[in-house]
Amino acid sequence: MAANMKKLNLLSLAVVVALTGCSDDDKDYKSLIVNNTLPVGSEQCVNGGTEKLEGEDTNRNGELDADEVLTTTVTCNDPASSLTPQQLVNLSTNQWFKDAKVKMATSQDNIEKIVKESGKAKNIILFVGDGMGVSTVTAARILAGQLEGKMGEEHLLSFDTMPFSGFSKTYNVDAQTPDSAGTMTAMASGVKTDVGVIGVDEDIERGDCSTVAGNELVTATELAEINGLATGIVSTARITHATPAATYAKSADRNWEDVSDMPEDAVTGGCEDIASQLVNFEANLEARFAGVDVDGLEVVMGGGRRHFLPKDAAFNSSDAMSAVEGDRTDERDLTAEWQAKYPEGQYVMDQAGFNNLDTESVSQVFGLFNESHMQYEADRANDIAGEPSLSEMTSKAIDVLDNNDKGFFLTVESGRIDHAHHAGNAYNALNDTIELSKAVQVAMDKTSIEDTLIIVTADHSHVFTIAGYPKRGNPILGKVVAVGKTEPSMAADGMPYTTVGYTNGLGYRDLGDETNADASYLEGPAVGRFDLTSVDTMSPGFHQEATVPLGSETHAGEDVGVYAIGPGAHLVTGTNEQSFLFHVMDYAGDLVKNADAKLAK
Amino acid sequence: MKLLILSMLLLSPFASAVECKTDNQYVQANYKVSEQTSHKLSAKEQLFTLWRTPRQVAQQSEQLVELWQQLRNQQIRPIRYFTQAKRGIEYHPSEVKGQLDFSSKYQLISDQLLAKMQLQSEQGDGCDTKQYYRLKKADTVIEVVWLSNQQLVESMQIQKANYSRKISLQSVSFNKQKVLEQFARWDKYQTTDYADIGDNESDPFLAKMINLGFVEHGATGFYDTNGKTLKSNHHHH
Repeated sequence: MAANMKKLNLLSLAVVVALTGCSDDDKDYKSLIVNNTLPVGSEQCVNGGTEKLEGEDTNRNGELDADEVLTTTVTCNDPASSLTPQQLVNLSTNQWFKDAKVKMATSQDNIEKIVKESGKAKNIILFVGDGMGVSTVTAARILAGQLEGKMGEEHLLSFDTMPFSGFSKTYNVDAQTPDSAGTMTAMASGVKTDVGVIGVDEDIERGDCSTVAGNELVTATELAEINGLATGIVSTARITHATPAATYAKSADRNWEDVSDMPEDAVTGGCEDIASQLVNFEANLEARFAGVDVDGLEVVMGGGRRHFLPKDAAFNSSDAMSAVEGDRTDERDLTAEWQAKYPEGQYVMDQAGFNNLDTESVSQVFGLFNESHMQYEADRANDIAGEPSLSEMTSKAIDVLDNNDKGFFLTVESGRIDHAHHAGNAYNALNDTIELSKAVQVAMDKTSIEDTLIIVTADHSHVFTIAGYPKRGNPILGKVVAVGKTEPSMAADGMPYTTVGYTNGLGYRDLGDETNADASYLEGPAVGRFDLTSVDTMSPGFHQEATVPLGSETHAGEDVGVYAIGPGAHLVTGTNEQSFLFHVMDYAGDLVKNADAKLAK
Repeated sequence: MKLLILSMLLLSPFASAVECKTDNQYVQANYKVSEQTSHKLSAKEQLFTLWRTPRQVAQQSEQLVELWQQLRNQQIRPIRYFTQAKRGIEYHPSEVKGQLDFSSKYQLISDQLLAKMQLQSEQGDGCDTKQYYRLKKADTVIEVVWLSNQQLVESMQIQKANYSRKISLQSVSFNKQKVLEQFARWDKYQTTDYADIGDNESDPFLAKMINLGFVEHGATGFYDTNGKTLKSNHHHH
């Protein structure tokens, strides 16, 4: 009966109250009839209707109370064949509805603007967020919005605004969950391959130098170089690390970053370390394709100085962390070799050198800003000699590359999203993703949708989850606070829990204001539940809880998102093998066709 | 601050007038760690060697070497060498204040702790100057015999109600050449960057790291032959 009363009150806006005079001599109260209008979408009638309540005013208050109703008759409207003006008014004043209508119009407009013929992309930029799975994109989007004072969920990262998107299946030929070497080789060369190998197909045997010959692939960067485009590679990881390396090197092992990393038989077998291949990119390409005359990579920026310098303190840079910065045991100084090859080019190793680059006059730039990987964006201020951000490097790279009237091909990797996830530290993973979004925005601002294809994707995902039922606008790095609540929800163990977390890895750490995710490795795994009641889970040094104890959090095997704008972007749709992306870039820039024509001459 | 504390020690009423000419910057010091708990009859003993040059220090046990380098910006970078595998893991320098005090590695006891302790007495001259320190806090008593002019702990005993641990110097050498050679040997091991572990699951050595986790970072830096800390008082709850 209480439920009935509630229903009556809810429908109290209604409507017609009809009094039927009752002159029954045996009772001195009246029979009453109440007609209510049921709105569209009501529980009783999805298309709206009427409800007729009949009863007796036994308490003589002149109203038909819930406990006085004797019969209820519901009459539902027929299904609507069209929306009434009134219904349309309700919808058109709804902000979600209005926003979506605007988006519909702009989406159609954006799609129409995309040039769909092949060969129309003068410039191609491939952005890779290493380890930037879908959950990372979502969480970074929310964090970026919250940092701007919004609730967060409604925010858009720069590449969220691109008109086309799809999914890549990331598995390697021999691995369900992939690594960067195999996945980036697929994107850069159009051929899926084994885990751990760079720029070679699946017929390779990892670590066996003798199996490289004959299995080398051609990359989009190499094709662009043959075609006379300006070429560039930018990364916040070591520039010899798997993802950037897959654009220019052929190696039986991703770890052969310099000669000291290689087994003796690989060196004597004639395999060249990855750093050396970078510096010899021009010579190697010309040796591989007879008659080709190329001018080398115009822009190389990243970390990994140690792989280019001899193991001799005399070669230390002012930014050196180690007593001996270089790792090379063959006494070669590849920075000097590069300078000798490109006397007009500029080698830079710190923020000041970077800032002083004259992008209009410099022909080639070789920037090695860290001994190993560059700093996390949140940790950049702690670098000894200072180093540029990913967006700064992207901006300067485009400024140098666009000096070539034929166009350019640029690969940009945000390499440390992956490392922060491996360390179980969402703070740095998300902040580096936000910095990638800024870099993409820089590229979008500096180029035109008419002649520049920009693709943003990831090589693989991580076991990073967004879980629980936090209310809208709840801090993404915070503890779960449920809808309508102000205090954190409690798990079955009586302790609060965070929205983001990891399936495996090192697990919980509370390192306070530590902005370096890798500090976590100093302790063994600490998985399972911890009492987070008095822990600031939004601090840079907080590392989320994990379930399975591992010395390092792992990659994940689900698909990753691909976002695209510019000529040929319409092909980025649906679910495709990761190798498909090379073919999108090839179509957009006629890379193979033009290179074939060049070689035929 | 560190300099100030050391200066105060040198100016203490017990300061020796005889000069110590030993170059204590290049050290190979062999220590024994004895540990005893009340419910176990026999004491557990381990050996380790402290190696140091002016900017780096290493603690070597049977299979594991923990090395700390003091960088130009005063950050401290840890490296772990696994002697059987001849491999190393390089960690990122820590910026967490108080997490890694170089003096606590360099001389096994931090300047900060030494400054908190009460100097009881002093004996000997020059290099043999010994200072006796004591600190009592709650149920814990720490006693240190400090070779002040060599910057070495001769002995350090931590005594609790049901537990005691003593670190005692067995022998020491200041052979610069030998020390440098030892650090050079470790430097030749193949090392992997901390951040690259997760991308190298196919490397058997690193796969073991990924699956088994890293040995814990003990407050004292002393490990058993399996790389485990002799005693971990680490609690997260």
